[in-house]
Amino acid sequence: MNNEVHFKVAIIGGGPAGIGAAVGLAKRGVGPVILIERRGEVGGTPMGYRKKPGGVPTFVEWTRGRVVFGEELAGRLTKRLAQTGTTIRLSTQVTKIYPAEKRLTLLGPEGLEDILVDAVVLAAGAREQTPAEKGWLAGARTARVGFTRHVTGWLDRHGLLPARKPIVVGSDLIAYSAAAKLCALGSDEPVMIDQRRSPEASFFERLFFRRWTRPDWSGGVSTVEIKGHGSPTHLESSNGREWQGDGVIICGQLVPNTELALMAGMAVDLPSRQLQLARGQTLSQPGWFAAGNVLGGFHGAQWCYFNGCSVARSVARFL
Amino acid sequence: MTQFGTWQPKIRGRLYYNWPRGTCEEALRFTGSEQLGLEPYDLVIIGAGVVGCGLAYQLSQYELRVLLVDRLHDVGEGTSKANSAIIHTGYDAKPGTLESELLQEARAAWPDLAARLKIPVDPIGGIMLAVTDEQERQLVAAEKNAHANHATDVRILSAAEIREREPNASPDVRGGLLVPGESLGDPFMASIAYAEVALANGVDILLGTGIAGVELGQAPGAPLHHLVTDDGHRLPARRIINAAGLGSRRLADGYGGGAFDINPRRGQFVLFDKCARSLVRHMLLPMPSAHTKGVLVSPTIFGNLLAGPTAEDLPLGDPEATHTTVEGIRRVMEGGSRLVDGLAQQPVIATYAGARCSCNQGSYVIRYNDGAPGVVTVTGVRSTGLTTSNSLARHLVDGMQKELGLELSSDTVALDARPESAWPGWWRRPFEDRPPDARADHGCAVCFCEVISEGEIRDALDSPIRPRTMDALKRRTRALMGRCQGFDCQVPLAELVSGHTGIGIEQLTNNGPGSELVAPGQAVRPEEVSA
Repeated sequence: MNNEVHFKVAIIGGGPAGIGAAVGLAKRGVGPVILIERRGEVGGTPMGYRKKPGGVPTFVEWTRGRVVFGEELAGRLTKRLAQTGTTIRLSTQVTKIYPAEKRLTLLGPEGLEDILVDAVVLAAGAREQTPAEKGWLAGARTARVGFTRHVTGWLDRHGLLPARKPIVVGSDLIAYSAAAKLCALGSDEPVMIDQRRSPEASFFERLFFRRWTRPDWSGGVSTVEIKGHGSPTHLESSNGREWQGDGVIICGQLVPNTELALMAGMAVDLPSRQLQLARGQTLSQPGWFAAGNVLGGFHGAQWCYFNGCSVARSVARFL
Repeated sequence: MTQFGTWQPKIRGRLYYNWPRGTCEEALRFTGSEQLGLEPYDLVIIGAGVVGCGLAYQLSQYELRVLLVDRLHDVGEGTSKANSAIIHTGYDAKPGTLESELLQEARAAWPDLAARLKIPVDPIGGIMLAVTDEQERQLVAAEKNAHANHATDVRILSAAEIREREPNASPDVRGGLLVPGESLGDPFMASIAYAEVALANGVDILLGTGIAGVELGQAPGAPLHHLVTDDGHRLPARRIINAAGLGSRRLADGYGGGAFDINPRRGQFVLFDKCARSLVRHMLLPMPSAHTKGVLVSPTIFGNLLAGPTAEDLPLGDPEATHTTVEGIRRVMEGGSRLVDGLAQQPVIATYAGARCSCNQGSYVIRYNDGAPGVVTVTGVRSTGLTTSNSLARHLVDGMQKELGLELSSDTVALDARPESAWPGWWRRPFEDRPPDARADHGCAVCFCEVISEGEIRDALDSPIRPRTMDALKRRTRALMGRCQGFDCQVPLAELVSGHTGIGIEQLTNNGPGSELVAPGQAVRPEEVSA
């Protein structure tokens, strides 16, 4: 490809961490910077949590000491991004990486485009573990076995309940927030199951969501099978327990989106997909950095934003 | 020049879905048999799996009135969709059997068939691995058997030769059998391609319609039968072909067909991430036992790695014949790890199970005038159905000429191929090939894991069989099939389908009525719909 455009830094992912990196780099006067977002809007996961009457605010904004809707938090972040002068590519995905020449191939509405960069910040976020990845959840492959992402998609974008009698698999903060959203918008009180003996969410987190939901908790389950034809009817555990429901929501246990790092030949642990990190959130080759939930574990949106801001320091030092 | 990404031939057949109002466009909805015309069908094929679709394709080359009917909501939706997707050479078949004969015919015909119908196939070859002394001793007999099946390029490899070809093969490997002709295929595209061409050539297709029974005609000679659908519609047929797979026994009871017993033999599979693909170069097969071919480890044509299947005989009608179990998945991992080192460290993305149509009376049970004149039963087609789908169809057409007095005259304008534009996008990579008529929406990914664009989804929705379920779309485009298993793309994809077809988003299903994506019976509250 001819006339490749050159950027000092490419940020992959336009969620809170990617925005944080863009803001941090702008503060240090690093440019030009390109931010590549595969969806049609920046803001990432919190953007899907719309502010609506009767809804449940689930994002902690520590700096203001309160809990807000994701959309509000993401909106403030995108405003800061707009002031940075970062080049933003929406609906655009990195499809190839040539690590030796630091070249990325992008696919977007205009077609294919190659860019050359000096450094890359991977801020690709995370996704929820699939039933197969869990290893203890098997059975029928029916409709309405989805993720928290689908709860927000159906409820906040379309006002549709993904299940009337939901079974939530998982018990962390994400699971409680999904249960609360479902209840607030008219589902029955969810059943919540997990292999853990007691819920993963802390006492205070559970206390916060008690206003909306008091899930019917079953801990310490062994292996579980989904039963039903076309749609789920119930879940059955190998030690004889049974839970009725018309939809299964798989929550939490995030898997980092480290596929691009693997493609670029970075060191990634398998099968956990965790990045092998050095100081300053550097990946195994120079000039590659990571920020936000792609680092592994589960972090709030504001943590990811500040983490993105701070990785900018390492990037600037490298450059 | 054909339009990129879509194949919109002149369609001479009629296509209907027997669905409730609102779940598909009104023009596609089946409301009564008069939509299909009053003239009786020369042939009605029950079962739109790879066997039924292959036969419909073959029959569409002649001037015949043919109907293909299935209770499911797409073609190739049952046993044909969940298997190991291997185009077999037949090296291990029992020489002299019909199966062996059909496999040999298929082996010669597949390269041309795949090229004409645009079915992705990759001839990567297989190696059967012996991991015990006893298995090593069986290699000689296996090689002899292969040569008896005219697979003359099959030969024994030493452990060292295998190590050179497959560095990640288990250290226990003592030797193996190289089978150069074994190929990977796209299991979904075969049924779809057959059915699309058949529809274009004038075969009528009726989906979502179960057959409750058969009213046999009493006239001597060539009586006119009627098929009765689950909701009471009568379909007149001069000849009936039972290709209903796992449903073939119940259907045969309706016309007094001869004795045969069907058992679903469940096969569970584990699908690994694309990053595991480089672990092996060939499909690695275990030495078969009397009961099963065993757990193999193979790349898929899509670039993943696959291990499976198990072989669990279940009673006919068991609703769990396509469910996975934690125990079954554990056995697949164990079996796969006997062949390949490091398999357990690879990230799994999905598990699935299929039910093969296992017949106690042997494989490939074919009966003409079974129970009544003009009725044909085809059953017991097991692991080799994809491979032999075309050679079996030719065999059946010959048989029906001889046994049923079927008269054939070639349809001179019938198509026997799909154009270049029918290759699925994931196979030809729309933007990288830069066709001049690629649209901007061919660059907007909706499924990020597999990089499937909005344009490919719209093209698939407009393809001849008019797929209207999420599963039907995923088999054509690979959207939802990646490592996130629909985490990111399920809702945006549903929005796209609803927007393109006008079907309400709350009505969309995974695989037909009863599998709605959201809790059924909700109306969209317009004030809540965001732009």
